[in-house]
Amino acid sequence: MPLINMPEFSGRLLDEFAARGTARIDTPVIQPAAPFLDMAGEDLRRRIFLTESETGESLCLRPEFTIPVCLRHIESATGTPRRYGYLGEVFRQRREGDNEFYQAGIEDLGETNVASADARAVNDAVQILESLIPGRKLTVTLGDQAVFEAVVKALGLPGGWQKRLIQSFGNNAHLRQLLMTLASPQTPSGLSPQLTDLLSQDDAALIAHIDRTMQETGYSTNASRSPAEIAARLKEKQSLAETRLDGSALVLLTEFLSLELPLSQAPAALAGFADAAGLALGAAIVTFEARAAALADLGVDLDKVTYRAAFGRPLDYYTGLVFEVSRDNAVLAGGGRFDRLMTLLGANEDIPAVGFSLWLDRIEQARAR
Amino acid sequence: MSIITIALPSKGRMKEDASAIFERAGLPIVAVGNERSYRGKVEGHDDIEIAFLSASEIAREIGAGTVDFGVTGEDLIREGLIDADRKMEIAARLGFGHADVVVAVPEIWLDVETMADLGDVAADFRSRHGRRLQIATKYWRLTQQHFSAQHGIQLYRIVESLGATEGAPAAGQADIIVDITSTGSTLKANHLKILSDGVILKSEACLVRARKAEHETDARVKKIVDAVRSVL
Repeated sequence: MPLINMPEFSGRLLDEFAARGTARIDTPVIQPAAPFLDMAGEDLRRRIFLTESETGESLCLRPEFTIPVCLRHIESATGTPRRYGYLGEVFRQRREGDNEFYQAGIEDLGETNVASADARAVNDAVQILESLIPGRKLTVTLGDQAVFEAVVKALGLPGGWQKRLIQSFGNNAHLRQLLMTLASPQTPSGLSPQLTDLLSQDDAALIAHIDRTMQETGYSTNASRSPAEIAARLKEKQSLAETRLDGSALVLLTEFLSLELPLSQAPAALAGFADAAGLALGAAIVTFEARAAALADLGVDLDKVTYRAAFGRPLDYYTGLVFEVSRDNAVLAGGGRFDRLMTLLGANEDIPAVGFSLWLDRIEQARAR
Repeated sequence: MSIITIALPSKGRMKEDASAIFERAGLPIVAVGNERSYRGKVEGHDDIEIAFLSASEIAREIGAGTVDFGVTGEDLIREGLIDADRKMEIAARLGFGHADVVVAVPEIWLDVETMADLGDVAADFRSRHGRRLQIATKYWRLTQQHFSAQHGIQLYRIVESLGATEGAPAAGQADIIVDITSTGSTLKANHLKILSDGVILKSEACLVRARKAEHETDARVKKIVDAVRSVL
C-alpha cells in the first residue's frame, strides 16, 4: 500500500475512531465482484475496476468498504454488537477526480437501539469533520426511508404501486415520472381475449395451463419464474388495472415529498402532516422522533440539520436513516441505515446496521482552502 | 495532402452493400493486392484509403479517431463507445443492415408486457429466488442505459452472452435477454416476446464520421458525405 500518499490527517482520524470505541478492520483490495453488483446493481459495473481470476471468477478493486467489512464480519462470526473503523484506498472509475482515493468510516453492526445508533453515526461524522475542518460551515441533510415507506403504505395505494414507489425512493427523476403516471387516468392494459378467458378460470387451472405451456415450449418450471408466481402476478396486475386512484393520495404524496425543514421542527411537522392527512405513520414516526431526541442529547444543534423528506438512496438494502454532511456542495460524508444488507450478504440472522464513510480527498481539499 | 481513411466491414453482406453504395456514389472501391486483402483504395482518389475491419473494430477505431469514416451498425457504435455522440457523427443512414436491439422475455410470462412490469418482477426477484433477475446479452452498455437510466430498474445482473443469446432463457442460463433481431423469427422460435416498450435501439448500417477538428477545413470530408447521401 502506498502509505506515502495517505492524507496527512489519517493518524488523527484513526485516533478519533479508536476513541469512539471502534475496532480497526482492514479488507483485501481485491474483492469478488458479485456482491457489489448484486447489491448495488449493474450500473456499478462501469464505475468499478473489474478483472478476472485465472479460474474465471469476476474480481474487482474494492470500490467501497461497507460490503467488504460486512462480509468480513460474517466470515469471522465475532458476534454483535460490533463497531468497526476502516481507512484505506478505494477504486472507482470517475469522470472527475482521481480513480483511486482514500475513504474512512465507521460501521456499527448489531446495535438494537436503532435511534441511538443512528444518532451516534450522524454525530460521529459531524464531530470528526468539525475537528478536521474547524470553523467551517457544514451542511447536514437527513432523510428517512422508513418514513417514506410508512406514508406510501398509509395512503392505501395498491400493493404494486407501493412497491414501485418505494423502490424508486431517492431517484427523484424516476419518482416524478411515476407520480405523473399515477396522476393521469389509469387505462387498464388491454388483456387479450385469450388471457381474459384464462383469468376467468380458477387459480389451479391457470397454473396448470402455464405449467403445461412451459413444458411444451421447453422451459423449465423451476429454473426461473414458476407457473404459480406468474399466475399470482397476473391476477395482481388485473386487480391493479381495475383500481381507480383518487387524486387526494397523489396530492398528499407530493406534499410530503416537498417537506424540507430544520430537524428541530421536523417531528412536529410530520405529526401535523399525518394528522391533517388522516394517516397513521406509527413506528416510523416514533423512531424518527427518538432519533432526533438522541441527536439533541448528543449535543447536535437540530436547527442546523435539514430534514428533506425526498432524500433517500435507491438501493433496496437501505431501510431507515440516510444522511450527508457537505460543505460548499461537496459531500464530505455520507451514511445511513442498512438493516437488510447483512442477511442479503449471507448472515443467518437479522443484524441491524448503520454507518458512514468519509471522502478523504474532498476533506483534504476542504482543509486546504 | 493527408490521407482520408474509410473503414468498411471486411466480410459478408455488410461489405457488399457498403461497397455497392460507394460504387453508386462515384467512389468505386478496389482491393489493393489480392481480393482478400484488408487494404483497399478508391479508384481515381489516391488520397482516400480503405481499411477492411470487423464491424465492432470499426466502432472502436472511430472512437479512437484512427480512421475518419466507418460503415458499421449503430448498435455497435452505441454499445462500443462511451459518449458516442461526442466522438462521432452519423453522417448518413444507409438503409441496410436493419436490426432492433430489444428486451425479450419468455412468452409464458403472461403478466409481463412492459418495462414497468419487468421492474416489478425484478424488484421481487431476489426475495423469491435468492438471486437477481439475470439478463443474457452482449449489449451490456445499451442494457444499462435502457434499464437504469430510462426505466429506473437497478436490480438485475447481466450474464455476458457471446452467441445464441436467444436460447439462454430456455437453457436456464438467464431469465430474459437483450439481443438484436431483424425479423423476430428467431425470438418466436425460442418462445420469446418483445416488451411493448422494449425496443432499445432501431439500428441500421450507418456512415459514421469520427469528430476531428481537421475535418472542418477539409473539403474532401464534405464531398464524401454529400456523394454518399446523394445516392440514398
